[in-house]
Amino acid sequence: MLERSDHLVVKDLNVSRGEARVLFDINLHLAPNEIIACVGRNGAGKSTLLKSICGFLPADSGTVHGHGQPLSGLRPYEVARLGVKYVPQDKRVFSDLTVRENLELGSYASGDYDWDPVISFFPKLKILMDRKAGHLSGGERQMLMIGRAILGKPKVLLIDEPTEGLAPIIVIHLKHVFKELSKTAAILIVEQNLPLVCAISQRVYALKEGRFVAELQGDQIRTDVCEHYL
Amino acid sequence: MLNTLRWWREILIAFSALWLARWVLPLPFMNEVLIFSIYTIGCNFLLGRVGFISFGQPAYLAVGAYGTAFYLSYFGTNPYVGLLVGLGAGFVFSVLVGLLFVRLRSDYFALVNLALAVIVFYMLQKVLVDVTKGDNGLWFLTNIDATPVFNLTRPAEFFTFCVFLGGLVWALYKYLDDTLFGACCLASKINETKLEFIGYDNFKIRLTAFTIANTTTALAGSLYAIYLGFVSPEMTSVSRAADPVIVTILGGVGSLWGPLVGALAYTGLRDVASKFIGNWELIVGVILVTIMMTNSVGLYGTLESWSKRLWRRVVALKGGA
Repeated sequence: MLERSDHLVVKDLNVSRGEARVLFDINLHLAPNEIIACVGRNGAGKSTLLKSICGFLPADSGTVHGHGQPLSGLRPYEVARLGVKYVPQDKRVFSDLTVRENLELGSYASGDYDWDPVISFFPKLKILMDRKAGHLSGGERQMLMIGRAILGKPKVLLIDEPTEGLAPIIVIHLKHVFKELSKTAAILIVEQNLPLVCAISQRVYALKEGRFVAELQGDQIRTDVCEHYL
Repeated sequence: MLNTLRWWREILIAFSALWLARWVLPLPFMNEVLIFSIYTIGCNFLLGRVGFISFGQPAYLAVGAYGTAFYLSYFGTNPYVGLLVGLGAGFVFSVLVGLLFVRLRSDYFALVNLALAVIVFYMLQKVLVDVTKGDNGLWFLTNIDATPVFNLTRPAEFFTFCVFLGGLVWALYKYLDDTLFGACCLASKINETKLEFIGYDNFKIRLTAFTIANTTTALAGSLYAIYLGFVSPEMTSVSRAADPVIVTILGGVGSLWGPLVGALAYTGLRDVASKFIGNWELIVGVILVTIMMTNSVGLYGTLESWSKRLWRRVVALKGGA
């Protein structure tokens, strides 16, 4: 059921990569303060979905609205300026810049120089401020990327496989962070870590070969059910 | 105040040392080093900060030089106004070319700039021959007025003016390195897509960097024109297109002082080696290959690491004693 107040609305989205159609008639909506997850096998089209929403991949047809404004056809930087931030999967930060410079880049783009929320979520970043981002561990890079994305208090966060390759203790930390972040933003997360997905999501979309094959809610959100779609 | 002085310290030391070097080294050599280093710093910024390799720098050099030369040949006699005209021409040309070129990356950018240098060469040599005098070039040395403060018609005062101007140019690039814009340029070089995800328009960042760098190159062209009192299409010849890239790599890509050290080494090698060997480029070539094969940080980076190592040894010896 689509609501007027939804932070993100995707309607009949079809996306191709080259000649091959990757996403077929995708419909989803994301309400304020909601965390929804998208699960599916490798190659199902999860990352393509996020990249298409944030403007990196053009859609063949369909519409994307963020906080009531059309996002279709906008460039990634324009989408980001409208408060829809994408955190990519690859954890590649600006390696030659320090942590401080990486955060400054986020601050200037969003006009938000209040780093207190970032530091309160990720206290470790405070002691890493002058370190080159290329010298950070995978977990620290993920913290930096999420920290940079939450500057400017985005309305929607699109997070692509945030726990891939991270130590369990960092995954637990990120779980708490996502729950806290959902108090101010709506989150669409693409993830294969089913315990995390089940612990934080209000709804789960199952993606198979480019199509949504199920929308799980309430008691349906269990690892054994989700596993069925992997 | 103390912080400002600290910020300016290395620029003041370096350019004071250069100014004093004129008593030891020949003045024409020092003038050439200074102008060449200003010519190269734009290329160094583009290559080191933005990731643009350009073999078309002579085109921007020529626009600055011919802008100044046209003014001093046909319109006026004040070299400072000529300098401003060259700078303005370089700025406008860089913006117009940048609007088309900065969408390209890597090899396409390098080649399209090389093509631009060829086009400019052909325009100056053939198409605009009525005003450029073709291969004969434009002579205007006697048109240049003596000016107060720095009389640019006298090589010694021209050199002092170049030292002063060089200090300002280096301050500009040091400032750019320190600012968020410098960080944006580096981020654009590392991962342009990710920079867009944060909310930056890559095109604007690259266009601004391209314009600043090539306007500096045009400034060097203007200085050449005033210094020599002569310009010819030869300065945009394809055989000279790689010079600023060579000096950038020789000095150390992306380092603030690389262009100065590179220009000093390149001009020095040329002057010294050409007395003994006809094909002096052979020596530069061998040094360049060595630098690239050893993944070296250029002459400046090597000197910096040697001096740091030496300093650590001195400190350790003092501590031991």
